[in-house]
Amino acid sequence: MAPASIAISLPFRLLLPPRPFRGRATWPRAIRATASGDTSGVAGGERKVALERRVGDLKALVASVPPAVASIQRNIGPNFVAGFCLGIAVLAAVARQVIIRSRERDNRGSVADLVRRGQLKSGQRGTAKLRTYDDPFNNPLVKIDEDASTAQMFGKEYRLAPVRLTKEQQELHQKRRSRAYQWKRPTVFLREGDSLPPHVDPDTVRWIPANHPFAAASSEVDEETAKQNVYQKDGVPSRVKAEHEALQARLEASNDVTKLPSNSSMQHNERPLRLSGKPFGNLQSSEFGSELENQDIEPGKHSCDESLQSNRLEGQ
Amino acid sequence: MAFAPPRLLPLPAPAPARCAVSARHHGGRTAPELSGPTPRVVVVTSGKGGVGKTTTTANLAASLARLSLPAVAVDADAGLRNLDLLLGLENRVHLTAADVLAGDCRLDQALVRHRALQDLHLLCLSKPRSKLPLAFGSKTLTWVADALRRAPNPPAFILIDCPAGVDAGFVTAIAPAEEAVLVTTPDITALRDADRVAGLLECDGIKDIKIIVNRVRPDLVKGEDMMSALDVQEMLGLPLLGVVPEDTEVIRSTNRGVPLVLNDPPTPAGLALEQATWRLVERDAMTAVMVEEQERPKKKGGFFSFFK
Repeated sequence: MAPASIAISLPFRLLLPPRPFRGRATWPRAIRATASGDTSGVAGGERKVALERRVGDLKALVASVPPAVASIQRNIGPNFVAGFCLGIAVLAAVARQVIIRSRERDNRGSVADLVRRGQLKSGQRGTAKLRTYDDPFNNPLVKIDEDASTAQMFGKEYRLAPVRLTKEQQELHQKRRSRAYQWKRPTVFLREGDSLPPHVDPDTVRWIPANHPFAAASSEVDEETAKQNVYQKDGVPSRVKAEHEALQARLEASNDVTKLPSNSSMQHNERPLRLSGKPFGNLQSSEFGSELENQDIEPGKHSCDESLQSNRLEGQ
Repeated sequence: MAFAPPRLLPLPAPAPARCAVSARHHGGRTAPELSGPTPRVVVVTSGKGGVGKTTTTANLAASLARLSLPAVAVDADAGLRNLDLLLGLENRVHLTAADVLAGDCRLDQALVRHRALQDLHLLCLSKPRSKLPLAFGSKTLTWVADALRRAPNPPAFILIDCPAGVDAGFVTAIAPAEEAVLVTTPDITALRDADRVAGLLECDGIKDIKIIVNRVRPDLVKGEDMMSALDVQEMLGLPLLGVVPEDTEVIRSTNRGVPLVLNDPPTPAGLALEQATWRLVERDAMTAVMVEEQERPKKKGGFFSFFK
């Protein structure tokens, strides 16, 4: 078939159907060659012949294309259409897979990906819908056949074996452990390297490395205050109260130094300052007197702050 | 009250309570019968890490709260706390027991209430990078438990999630406890640690110790590649509170921040933990254990059964 062989030998671009002219074609170079040929005599004539030969080839090509299109149109049938649709479908599937994989590669392991896959719930953590359980020993998912010593659970049937442990065996194990593990719970924690206080039993000491979470360098509250803090049921927490009082004292001290004329009226109407990040919204002045008995938290620090403040103001 | 028929092997437990439970077992109950004075302080411990202490604590606490038994879950793991994640409360823990000690807040302010379960509260011992005062020793949780006991509305249960190991965190966690739930997996490493921890607990005066055997795979038990719960019990000599099968839903529930016992539909592990909660409430133990899956007898059909 001649048209087919010509089509094979031609570049792929020529097999495309003719498109409307879009302003720039490939012909101008040849036209320019003919124009330059007028000035160069014999050489120009040879070029003209070559150009005519090319144009002739092109005409032959153009003449050969309609039979090829016609042959395609002649041979086209349901198989071709089906194959074409199948090819399009395969291409679409491949393209979809490529897009999905590229997206997965971008989002893999992200919270959005986990949420999309249903492994994480964004914004709903801890808000579970409650389910009212029936008896967990007797419900549609658990059936116990006491006579046959079988239990049916989630559609599977299991054999039941009775527990063999007796009270005597339990006591024997307890005695074995009491012989094997001689232990007294430590009540005093000391940091490794510290010296043992004189009144402390060495058996009750637990030595703690310096990087342990329990090894704080120093505690701002003593043991009795800490205990009272834990047992406090209502009112303002002790440190919040102490900070508030310190600020009040500071304010009073500054008022004394500047000696404002409205000193007495300000003392009556003064509000708690909120200089730190602590919440003072729930402070109630009526509760101050009755909440905590122990109010001597960092008295030295407060007095020091006050003296510093007054010193600064005097300097000004 | 047990998972399996409680009448298979009677335990020498207090008879009146058991009779009442057994009598009502067939009737279909909606809640277990609370045994003993409240609040009951229970420490969930194991010795070895990664056996499921925190998961068990979260599920026991959630299950108790759903049964309208107020529970406070205390995360005593000062360095590596995780209980807040399992309960889905990680964004709401701003105050801890360390802040209470320091006087920055009251104890009731440090308790984080669960959104869905009104009777469940969480208390964390400290923030991950903060340090607790050394001088108070193991008294911190003792004070906390005592303060909760003296509260106007004391909880029915205080569940303490114990850190792994037997160091200062363990000492602090077991200090206020009266009962212990020992979580173990059926492997020899966990069993050795569990036996040692049981010994330490008994030395400290905690005699009510029960075990939960976690991550049991019946297929491996059947092939004798894994110890059964009965083998574990024989080695430790402690009553069984529950046997929890291996379940992939555990990972999912952990990531979702929803305890397994709240899953709908229920999962095998969730149901086993629910059963363990009921036994814990009633101070009961298992009397029979599921050992292996049975082959169901095939139904014999006639010629036309093929077409059915």
